[in-house]
Order: sequence, then C-alpha cells, then structure tokens
Amino acid sequence: MTAEEMKNYRVSDYRRILQKGDISPRELVKIFLERCSQWEPFINAFLHLDAERVLRQAEEMEKFPPADEELPQLFGIPVAVKDNICVSGIPTTCGSHILENYVSPYEATVVQRLRRAGAIIFGKTNLDQFAMGSSTESSVFGATRNPLDLSRVPGGSSGGSAAAVASLEVPLAIGSDTGGSVRQPAAFCGVVGVRPTYGRVSRYGVVSFASSLDQVGPLSRFVSDAALLAQVLSGEDPLDSTCAPYPPFSTSDIPSYEETRKMRLGIPREYFSSGVDRSISEEVASAVEKLAKEGFDVIEISLPHTDFALEAYYLVALAEASSNLARFDGVLYGKRAQGVKTLMEMYHRTRIEGFGNEVKRRIMLGTYALSSGYYDEFYLKGMKVRTLVRQDFEKAYEACDILLTPSSPCFPFKLGEKISDPYQMYLTDILTVPSAMAGLPSLSLNCANRDGLPVGLQVIAGPFREDRMFGLALFLEELLSVEPPIPAVPDVKEGDDE
Amino acid sequence: MAHLSRLEFTEQELETFFRDLNNILVHFEKLDTLDLSNVSPTSHITWTSPPVNPDQPVEWGREEEVMRAAPKVEDRYFIVPKIVDKQEG
Repeated sequence: MTAEEMKNYRVSDYRRILQKGDISPRELVKIFLERCSQWEPFINAFLHLDAERVLRQAEEMEKFPPADEELPQLFGIPVAVKDNICVSGIPTTCGSHILENYVSPYEATVVQRLRRAGAIIFGKTNLDQFAMGSSTESSVFGATRNPLDLSRVPGGSSGGSAAAVASLEVPLAIGSDTGGSVRQPAAFCGVVGVRPTYGRVSRYGVVSFASSLDQVGPLSRFVSDAALLAQVLSGEDPLDSTCAPYPPFSTSDIPSYEETRKMRLGIPREYFSSGVDRSISEEVASAVEKLAKEGFDVIEISLPHTDFALEAYYLVALAEASSNLARFDGVLYGKRAQGVKTLMEMYHRTRIEGFGNEVKRRIMLGTYALSSGYYDEFYLKGMKVRTLVRQDFEKAYEACDILLTPSSPCFPFKLGEKISDPYQMYLTDILTVPSAMAGLPSLSLNCANRDGLPVGLQVIAGPFREDRMFGLALFLEELLSVEPPIPAVPDVKEGDDE
Repeated sequence: MAHLSRLEFTEQELETFFRDLNNILVHFEKLDTLDLSNVSPTSHITWTSPPVNPDQPVEWGREEEVMRAAPKVEDRYFIVPKIVDKQEG
C-alpha cells in the first residue's frame, strides 16, 4: 500500500481490510514502521520507537484474534502516545533529563483503554519538557520539526504526536492539552486535534502539569477518527476522582447533518482581533460564510474577558505546576545528582540538573504566585479571572450552541524564532487557553492552506457536548474538503543541509 | 524564591532569570484593571460532586518495579543523604 493510497484511509477503512484479511496486522504495522524510518531522520517525532515490540503486539493479535465476528474498534491500528503518558515497561521521559531513565511500573488508564480497544501502542512521541511549551523545541532529545516545512516548528507541546500523524507515520495519536497543547500543534500540522471536556477522560498515569487543566485528547487525520478515539478514551475512572462519573462519549450521539444544520453558531469578535494574523482571520471568516450559505444561523457574540484569559491561565497553570513538580526531588524516581552530601543539596542539584530553563522559569513563577505575600495578588486573582472567563462562555451558550474561532493567532513559526522570548511563546496559546480555563470541549481542524501552511479552525462546544462539536466538525470537514496533508518524504540532500 | 523552589542559580543565571521573569510579570498587571471584589475564585472545574470510592486497600504486587524506578534503594527502603546532623554536646 502506498502513502498516496493511504492518505484518505480512515480507521474504518483499515478495519475493513483487516477484517477481510486483505492485510494482516503485522503487514499493516510494517507499512507504518517503514514510514517512520523514512521520516524520523527529518522530523524526530518519536522519542521511543521499538519496532520489535510493535511487531510483537501485531503478532499477538494474529495469534489470538478476537473471538467475536466484529473486530474491536481499534483492532490493529497503531496509536502513538505522548511521552508524558505512562506505558508500562517503556520509558516515560517527559522530554527531560530528570526522567531520562524512568520506566513506569504502571500504565495510564487511557493506554489501557487503547489496548482494550485493540490498538497497537506504537511508541512515545516528543514534547516540550513536561508539556511546558508551544513548539516542541525544549525537549532535551532535540526539537521535532514540522513535516509540512522542516524549517518550522510543529507547535507544542504535543508536537511529536501532531508531526507523526501529519507525516502518516501513524494514523492516530494521543496528546495532552493543558492550555492548547493538542489543538495548537494540530493546527500547525494541518491535522485534527481534540481537547475533551475537563473530566471526560481519566488523567491517571499522565504526568501532571496543571491538574485543574490537563486533559488527554486525540490527534488524527479525520474528524471521524478523532471521534472514535474520543469514544475509546472517555469514561469514568475510579483511579481519577476528577474524572466525571458520566457515561463515555459515544459516536452514536453525534447529530445527523440535518440536525447539525439547526445549530446556532457564535462568532466571538475578540478572537478576530489585531493580534491574530490577518490571513488566518480571513480563512476562518470565509469558512463561517460558507456555513451561513448552508443555512446556519450565525451570530456575532462577545466574550469580554478573552483578553485577560492568557495571564490568568499562566498564573493558575504555573502555580499548579510548581506544586506538581515538587515531587521530582531525586528520591522516588528519576535521576539524582551525584556526589551530594546533604538532603537540601540533593534537592537543589537534582532539580537544577534535571529541569530545563522553561521548566525552572515556570516553577519559579508558580512558587512566587503561591508564596504567602503574593498569593492574593497572583494566584487568587488568576482563579477569580477564571470565573469571569467561565461566565463569559456560560452566557454565550445561552445564545448559541457552538463557537467558531481560529485555533492559533499565527502560522507555524521558524525553529528558534520565539524560544528566547518566553512571553511571545505564551502568546501563541491565546486562542486555546480560554476554553481550557472553562473546561470546555474544543477541536481544531484544518480549514485552509495558505502558501503551503495550514490554518486551524477551532470548534468549541458546551460542557460534555462533544456530540455537537464533532457534528459540526464533520459537517465542516465535508463542506470545506481540505485534504489532510501528505507531505513528500524530504530529499536526503535537503535533510543533510538541515 | 529559588530556595523555596528548591532550585539554585549562579549570579549570571539569576540575572537572566530575573529579566525573563520580570518581562512576564509585567503582563500580569493587566489583571489589575478588573474589579474582582465580588468575584469568587474557580480553583477547579467541577460538573458534579466528585465520586467517593470505598476506602479499601488492594494488593498491587508491583512494589519491586516501583523500587526499581528509584535512584537509590536498599531492601525496601529509599536511601537519602543524612537529614539530621549530629550536634556536639
């Protein structure tokens, strides 16, 4: 099977050919492993990829095919896992020195759910250290590059997962989204990325960054595949008390096109401000226009506290991060600095050697925001603004069912362009942070290409209304018919020059 | 603050860090323009009261693997440098 043939394959297509016996699970994973050997030297999307382990999983499936006639939902489908999500027996590094040699003794609930659905756990993908970043440049194992343009970043922090899907190294991947870490890289790589409702998906086994914000979400080439993956991942978990005790999302709840057409679409004007690249605003506005022509009711609305969400987000997220990362002290797991004599020296040296600059910066800021003299001034204020941001959305959903916005204010930027200016980097999350603060399900899909670079459109729904979110995204995907990327494997010479 | 964060920096590193941190902190001043006197804080998004699990111990059986992930262990103990210095009488 060639890449050209596979580019329009959905999970249902792979399942069909596996079911008919046209291809075996081993043959299928070999195709993807071959893609990886072609692409990895150029993009560095994977931190851990053990071909033998992958082939063994496929072989097991051939030896013990499921008894029922209907194959499980993800039978034989390779899924890449972001390297801050624990898979037992293989490393979970978080792209950091401190966890360089850490092998998790247990497995995240989401990974177990993938296995139960028949998926092949393909490997671990690159990320910004501890998921703190928007470009996947801060991994100690080297940056990931955008397969659509190797001189550009894939976004972040789930940049490895997005790049792996965009280059068709894998059909599906999972990432984690704290303030946009699934949706922004999806937008940068021209694929679909989803942040489920906070509490939809278990966080058990996901290395915590900001516990009140972190959610695991799917990345895929097609909306229907993301919906299928969301169905597999979601549902209550006794091991995570923040996971809502509701039944899992089901793809059968997605409304028909006819029902979808009745949805009222809200366009928040703050998301089209001067801070957003004009070409991006134009493309998103043009997609909205097409929906209006299809008979959708389009309403302009206002989310007045949008402009304050980013600052409030960073206060809340960094405060939580400083507290979560206190566990990395050289005692229970990870690396410990050598030659230390006292306990305090061990803490200091271990952390200074184990964390990268951005992580240290965030721990310092978070500690500052939580310190007794500044708690009211910073952390408390962040939490109060979070209330206002949430209320904005609640009010908006009285007037509409779905919000449509750009996913990112900018196109994928060049490697090195923003890494030395932390605040400029933070600004790239400005359109994905507010819905994360409110815990709402949001999805990014590619709505256009400008000079070969993708434009992400964000669909935000009310809490637990993934059905509406996917319904509208499916409608849009068909209406706009922007094909998922299938970049050509770079010329070796060009790679050498990089 | 570095000590509270259990981090350590050289003078030169501190200078860069202070500059970066101040460049970020200055943006937080924007929040001062909002009247927050009657706003209650949101620390966590909850849709329902969190589920309560029965407090039952379960056999896990993977203690060895947990110990293997630690940098320094002896038998079933995590080994750390001396915590209390012996005081001379």
